[in-house]
This record gives sequence, C-alpha cells and structure tokens, in this order.
Amino acid sequence: MGNWERLVWNQRDALISGLAVTIEICAIAFVAALFGGLALCLLRMHVRALRPVTIGVIEFCRATPIFVQLMWVNYVWPELFGWPNSFFTAGWVALALQSSGYLAETFRAGIEAVPRGHREAGAAVGMSPALILGRIVLPQAGLMVSPSIVNQFTVIVKSSTLVSVITVQDLMFQSQKLVNVWYEPIEILTATAGIYIVLVFAVSALGKLLADLLRRRFGVAAN
Amino acid sequence: MSESLRQSLDLSLFWEYRTVLLRGLVFNLYVFLCAASVAITIGLGAALLRINRAWPFRVLGTLHVEIFRNAPDYIMVVWVHFVLPLLLSPILGWRVEFHPFVSAVIALGFVYSGYYAETFRAGIQSIPRGHLEAGRACGMSERLILWRIVMPQVVRKMLPEGLNQLVSLFKATTIVSLIAVPDMMYQVSMVTAQEMRPIPLYTGAALVYFAVVFAVAQAVRLASERWRQSIYA
Repeated sequence: MGNWERLVWNQRDALISGLAVTIEICAIAFVAALFGGLALCLLRMHVRALRPVTIGVIEFCRATPIFVQLMWVNYVWPELFGWPNSFFTAGWVALALQSSGYLAETFRAGIEAVPRGHREAGAAVGMSPALILGRIVLPQAGLMVSPSIVNQFTVIVKSSTLVSVITVQDLMFQSQKLVNVWYEPIEILTATAGIYIVLVFAVSALGKLLADLLRRRFGVAAN
Repeated sequence: MSESLRQSLDLSLFWEYRTVLLRGLVFNLYVFLCAASVAITIGLGAALLRINRAWPFRVLGTLHVEIFRNAPDYIMVVWVHFVLPLLLSPILGWRVEFHPFVSAVIALGFVYSGYYAETFRAGIQSIPRGHLEAGRACGMSERLILWRIVMPQVVRKMLPEGLNQLVSLFKATTIVSLIAVPDMMYQVSMVTAQEMRPIPLYTGAALVYFAVVFAVAQAVRLASERWRQSIYA
C-alpha cells in the first residue's frame, strides 16, 4: 500500500486539477454539442435549400473517428480559419463536433415522434411556428430522447481522454505526466482508469435518474 | 486565395504517400478484425454469465459489463500496454512484454466485449420462455437449446445493434496509433513530421476514414434492414 500512498494519494493535487479540466471540457463540449446538434437538426428539417450540405455535415461528424476529428481540428482549422487558437478550444470543438452529428439525428427522431395533431392544435390557437417549436415540439422531443442525450454525454466523457494527446491538461494528461516522472505506471494508471470508470458510471446513473424524474414529472412515460 | 493557402490545401501530398498510408489503413483493418473476434467471443461469455442461475456468476458478469462499458478506450489501451505486462510478469515468472498490436487488440476487444455482452443479454432475454420449455419438453439438452433455439433468434434480433458496434469499433481503432501501432493515423503523423504540412495529410486522412466508415455503415444498414424484412415478412 506504500506505493499507492506515494504515487496516487500524495499526487492527488495533480489528479484533482486534471479531473477539474476533464469535467470543464466535457461540460463545455456537451452544451456546445446540444446547441450544434439542435441547429443542424433544424437546418436539416426546415431549410430545404441547404439540406444536402447539412446532411453532408451531419454524416461527416458521425462517420469520422473522434481521434481523427481532434487531430483535424487541432492541426488544420487554425491554418485554414485562424481558429481555434488554443488546445483547450480545439479539444472541446472536436468533442462537440462529433456529438452534434449524433445529437442532430437523435433530435430529428424525437421531433418526428411528436404527433402531428399537437402542432396543428398549436397552429389552430394562433401560435407562430417558432412558438410551436419552442413550446410544444422541442419540450416533448427533448423528454422523449433524453436517455440518448445522457448516453451521448457519457460518450463525450469517454472521448475526452483523447484531448490529452494535444496537451490539454486533463486527468489523462496529468496521470501520464506522473508516469513519466516516476516510471511506475501500475498504481497511477490503475487509479486513473478507476476514476474514469466511476466518473462515467456516475454520469450515466445520474443522467438516467434526472431523465426519468423529468419524464415522470412532465408526463412522458419513463421506461 | 493566396498561393500558400492553395499549396497547403493541395491534396496531392496525400496521394504521393498513398502506399504508406494505405498500408496503415490495412493495419486498422487487422486490429479491427482481431479485436472484433475477441469482443464477440468474450461478450457472449459475459452475457451467459449474466443470465446464469448461480448468483456469483451473475455478479461476475455484471462487474465485467459495468467496468468495460464505462471505461474509455484510450485509458484501457494505455493500461493494457503499460500495466498489464507488469502485473503478469511476477505471476508467470518471466518478463512479459506486449507488442503494441497485441495490447491494442486486447484492450479494444475487452472494451467492446462489455457492449456486446449487453446486446447479447438483451437478445437472449427477449426469447419467450415457452421456446425453451418446448425444447426441454422434446428432451433437448441445455446446450442444444442454446445453439438451436436461442442463438439463431438472438442473432437476428441483435444484428442491427451488433453491426453498429462493429462500426464504432472500427472508428476506435484509430487511437491505437497512440501506442505506436503503425495504422493510418500513425503514418499521417510520421509524414507530417517530415513534410510539415498538416492540412492535406490530416484532411486526407479524415476524408478516407469518413469514406470507409460511411460506406460500411450505409451498407450495414441496408443489408440488416433487408435481412430483417426477409425474416419477419
């Protein structure tokens, strides 16, 4: 147990600061992915002229591996667009890019599952299309697909380990730095793996709990 | 468009290195095939543990699923490559060292076995009890029931999800470049270090992976849809 104390417990400051960066980058990427996915979904469904482009973007986001996207955003975007200008930004942009493609399709499935009659009822009482979308369609669609949204968040947390490759100082980065200092990987890497497993488990359990609570509260049957 | 920008966008550099890069892509395929067979085999084993009547087996199966489904691929690859040999060496009595390829296959295989275990379990548990009872009533052994009655139905039910997971697994094989398996991303980073022109190389790699994954995913969707329809028609 001496090793565990020396290599893990005494290094807790580094690991905790890494964990904080992991949580921060995941949260930013998740929010960005929600907005990006919603935007792509609405563009795809309602802007007919842009549809081929939108479908292309969504399919590109979905079918390209996250690691390839990360490298692409990190090395290619700054030279082409002059942005993102930090590794941290490149990290969350890549994570958000991948997930927004998946979320766009998830949202579309949810929106299409809202019965037509609800929309027509909104129109009949004189609501504008934007109001119908915001008050009637999106709340129901969001509740319906909330388990998939939670699932996508866990995917973001798992993929976030890769941002250490572009030197974002997340938990993975800190633990590999410790390994390179001490040359004793057993305890550090095992502890890191354990922390990630617990983190992802907690995110999915809490997310599922929250989704079920919301669905029960607002009357969509939870399964 | 400025001259330098046009030069950096020129994808011919990617074409110039096509043999090296293509060999890398073939390596992706190797890792994928080996990891997929590991994942499906162990996934099936874990699913059978989870539905076992004896509770210690069930606990073991659940533990397997919860650990591997919640573990990020990258940490598992690193862990298997750097920690597992150190743990195995004292047990086996000689100095174990994994080739990066072996580590990649073990790590990805085990991570995806967690997903497969859940898919198999859901498939197996969706078989009506009556089918099993009918098999027993005819005097079939448990093993025969599993292979003749349960598995054929399970495979049909879980095919779409199982194939989607194969697509995810292929996408995950790109991270093995990080432990120096010479896959396409590894070759791209090597060539980039020589040529110092990341734009055509990384864009080309992204497009190639996109083309492969998209084509396969589309084919998978069509094939599994058609097959399901021909069965449930």
